[in-house]
Amino acid sequence: METRMEDAMAKTNVRYCLKCGKCTGSCPLARVNPEYSPRQTVERAILGRKDQILRGKGVWWCLTCELCSERCPQEVRYPDFIRACRIEATAKGIEHMCAHGGMLAELQRAMTSPEVKQDRLGWIPKGAKVSGTGDLLYFVGCLPYFDVIMEKIKPDSVAIGQSVVKILNRVGVTPAIMPNERCCGHDLLWTGEVESFKKLAKLNMDEIAKTGAKTVLMSCPEGYRTLKLDYADLFGELPFEVVHTSEFFSRLIDEGRMKFDKSIDRKVVYHDPCRLGRHLRVFDAPRKVLSSISGVQLKEMERSRAEAMCCGVDAWMCNSNSKQMQIERLREARMSGADLLVTACPKCQIHFRCVMSEKLPKSVFPVPDEAKIDVMDLSELAAKAMGL
Amino acid sequence: MDEKPSVLVIGGGVAGIQASTDLANRGFQVYLAEKLPSIGGRMAQFDKTYPTLDCSICILAPKMIDCFRHPNIKVLAYSEVKSVSGSAGNFTIEILRKPRFVDAARCTGCGQCAEKCPKKIPNEWELNMAGKKAIYMPFPQAVPRVMTIDPENCLYLTKGICRVCEKLCQAKAIDFSQKPETVQIKVGSIIVATGFDMIDPSKFPEYGYGKYKNVIVSLEFERLICASGPTGGHLVRPSDHQKPKTVAFVLCVGSRDVKAGRVYCSNVCCLYSAKDAILVKEHEPDVDAVIFYTDLRAYSKGSREFIDRAIRDYGIKYIRGRPGEIREDHETKSLTIWYENTLSRKVEKLQADLVVLSVACVPRGDTKELAKVLGVELDEYGFFKVADPLYAPLDTTVRGVFACGFCTGPKDISDSVAQASGTAAKAAEVSMMYARAVPRAVKKGG
Amino acid sequence: MTTEPKIVAFTCNWCSYAGADLAGTSRIQYPANVRIIRLMCSGRVDPTWILKAFELGADGVLVSGCHPQDCHYISGNEKAEERVNSTKRLLRLLGLETDRLRLEWISASEGARFAEVIKDFTEKLSRMGPTPFRSKRGV
Repeated sequence: METRMEDAMAKTNVRYCLKCGKCTGSCPLARVNPEYSPRQTVERAILGRKDQILRGKGVWWCLTCELCSERCPQEVRYPDFIRACRIEATAKGIEHMCAHGGMLAELQRAMTSPEVKQDRLGWIPKGAKVSGTGDLLYFVGCLPYFDVIMEKIKPDSVAIGQSVVKILNRVGVTPAIMPNERCCGHDLLWTGEVESFKKLAKLNMDEIAKTGAKTVLMSCPEGYRTLKLDYADLFGELPFEVVHTSEFFSRLIDEGRMKFDKSIDRKVVYHDPCRLGRHLRVFDAPRKVLSSISGVQLKEMERSRAEAMCCGVDAWMCNSNSKQMQIERLREARMSGADLLVTACPKCQIHFRCVMSEKLPKSVFPVPDEAKIDVMDLSELAAKAMGL
Repeated sequence: MDEKPSVLVIGGGVAGIQASTDLANRGFQVYLAEKLPSIGGRMAQFDKTYPTLDCSICILAPKMIDCFRHPNIKVLAYSEVKSVSGSAGNFTIEILRKPRFVDAARCTGCGQCAEKCPKKIPNEWELNMAGKKAIYMPFPQAVPRVMTIDPENCLYLTKGICRVCEKLCQAKAIDFSQKPETVQIKVGSIIVATGFDMIDPSKFPEYGYGKYKNVIVSLEFERLICASGPTGGHLVRPSDHQKPKTVAFVLCVGSRDVKAGRVYCSNVCCLYSAKDAILVKEHEPDVDAVIFYTDLRAYSKGSREFIDRAIRDYGIKYIRGRPGEIREDHETKSLTIWYENTLSRKVEKLQADLVVLSVACVPRGDTKELAKVLGVELDEYGFFKVADPLYAPLDTTVRGVFACGFCTGPKDISDSVAQASGTAAKAAEVSMMYARAVPRAVKKGG
Repeated sequence: MTTEPKIVAFTCNWCSYAGADLAGTSRIQYPANVRIIRLMCSGRVDPTWILKAFELGADGVLVSGCHPQDCHYISGNEKAEERVNSTKRLLRLLGLETDRLRLEWISASEGARFAEVIKDFTEKLSRMGPTPFRSKRGV
């Protein structure tokens, strides 16, 4: 894990940059923010203008969505470079962009204490079968916290967790759920607080080991990416398999164990979350799940799969540019002919619901009617289609 | 052994033709094997050449005819090299001659059969932008001027019906009884001049090729702008055959691209795109032509002058920035190109009605097979590997087998022709070693 | 349970801070465990600060403002109440006793009331003991 700009420059191919500008021509943020250019940031790095980068805003504006590195002809891994810059900047005491007022980070930092004993299982539906140990662990993530912090926009994030547990029980799986599960640490890592991230990672690995799980199931792509890639980076090959709910459901469908008896008559379009799509290359599994539900007419956005546009927020760092991007993406969803936007990431869901909610002043962020659409998580829709 | 020392040239493009004629003029016996029904290769598909802006086929066709009619050259068109044995000075080659189902000695190339043939198929020579019939002349200036029947589409050969061509042919040239024929030849040396292919940019979904009708590749543009092409040379866009207001050229699609596995530069695109843009302006002076480049590789004599001419005399705009993505307005079918103008350092978009992608030039798909037959090595990109890029750039890894033109790596027509003459000299040297007769140069005009 | 609890009190300028001040000028004794922070309105208290206070080693956080209907900014104290309730839900999830976060309405004339609240809060907190975050900070 690179923690300094110079080390990252070597490892992420920054010096191979052709200065062709394809990254900036692709970047959704650069389109709404003329002050931001991945190419110019790389140029500054090569010219040695380290302070200008670390103390600038550009290093925090980046969505780390990997659209630039997807298209870069020289395979410059710009988001990984940015992450190392953020870590170095944080180590130097440089403050980052407002990330929802720092609320989430406080909670995540609180969880780094080994003595914390959370009371976080209240969302589990009555009568559901869960356990403290088992072959399959459902890593819930921060869903219970989201519902409290974002209550103004009513995200109902725990509905995702409840849907997953109901589905698992229906197919005969009793998942293990950790009573003291920590935040995976994604947000702290991507805002530069690498030491706190390492603490969370260690605590989680210990908790997971206690469950004896061989498979860790995640409904959040950011957690998925963090465990699969970043924990493996820290601890070496993981002693368990990490899998996203969409992949797991796809497997269950193949095995004939997951059957959808209810019809859902909606025109559905799927939004590829950056961490699930470009970072981890899972594009087909969610679409397979959706196509297996009768009544669903699956549409595609103009920019989908590896070309999907980010929901506009990374690690809760959000500003007016994010809102502009969200409105653009929602408009694109409507243009596909769909009336329901399904995503497989609880955070994308929150961001989309936020921009459409009453919370934002309409005088500042008028959301046109053609950018309003229902948003639902894949697990919720799947559960509904199973009559759960 | 033949009386005269002999050489096999594989590939009837401009390089193969040049090498063949050079050798034939010195008295060597040349066998020119060409896979397609006609010689001419890529140069026959281009509209104009750079930097001279000559009509490509106009300067090539006389060479094609000279080559075909030369007493020392036997053109084996519509044929493939199937096996090679022996060694330098004494190769034995087996060549499969595919049946045209048309008697070459009788066919006058009048084309009446094609007019009445009921089976229409896409014309790959026109990049599928036009159709042809199951009996066809590959292009109007084809050499040899003989019709060919496509056995996979001919109604008689597939279903046993029709035979209209046979009924109509006044020269009684149709012969459905033809079978593939293998001929064996002995030669002293071999020259490979098999040319190149271009990639399909559908693997770059951000550019929309294959999805958006008005995004085309450079070779398609050549046919579009060519007077003998599918639109008669009228500059119109594929979706609605309307004149475009702005034509954009995107360079380096698939070249200089580590991710695509191709770090090399395709050599010719910076210049041919300038040429294509000039053609846009010559056909329709009020149409805007914009070229998106990463670096301008115009290093040889006359090259930079050509580009400057394009900018100064024709008003072609050059923007330094590789486009991020191209999106289509589904109603108008016009395209929006998003890019960072790296010189003004601003993210901008350009509306274009036609986009031409300069796609990477790559070895032909059949190169691996041919390399196996010849026993030669290929380089890491699949081009024919040369023995030494500095001292032996025309030698392959097998003695007595030489290679020239694009098949060893990207290069333009002048370099290909120069290399062709070079391989002719080297092949002559090898063939001479075991020759019993001294070749006599052919007098010009005789 | 011998460590002295630390309390951070967010008090509003118009009512509670004045009330605390009155306790001082009236020489009413109350435990020295509290650190008082003056804000213009209790509605200014960002829930993140409450969590931050706990992270930095506070054992209890007091948010104090004007009585309902008396807010200098009309409805600031209503927002404070919403936010404190919401933050209590977060504390519960984190496994912290929700009584560690306390909301009081103390007016400018209620010096004795302020002292009483602090005394009571200190007593309850010393029975609860330190938070799980104490060890992190070594405070």
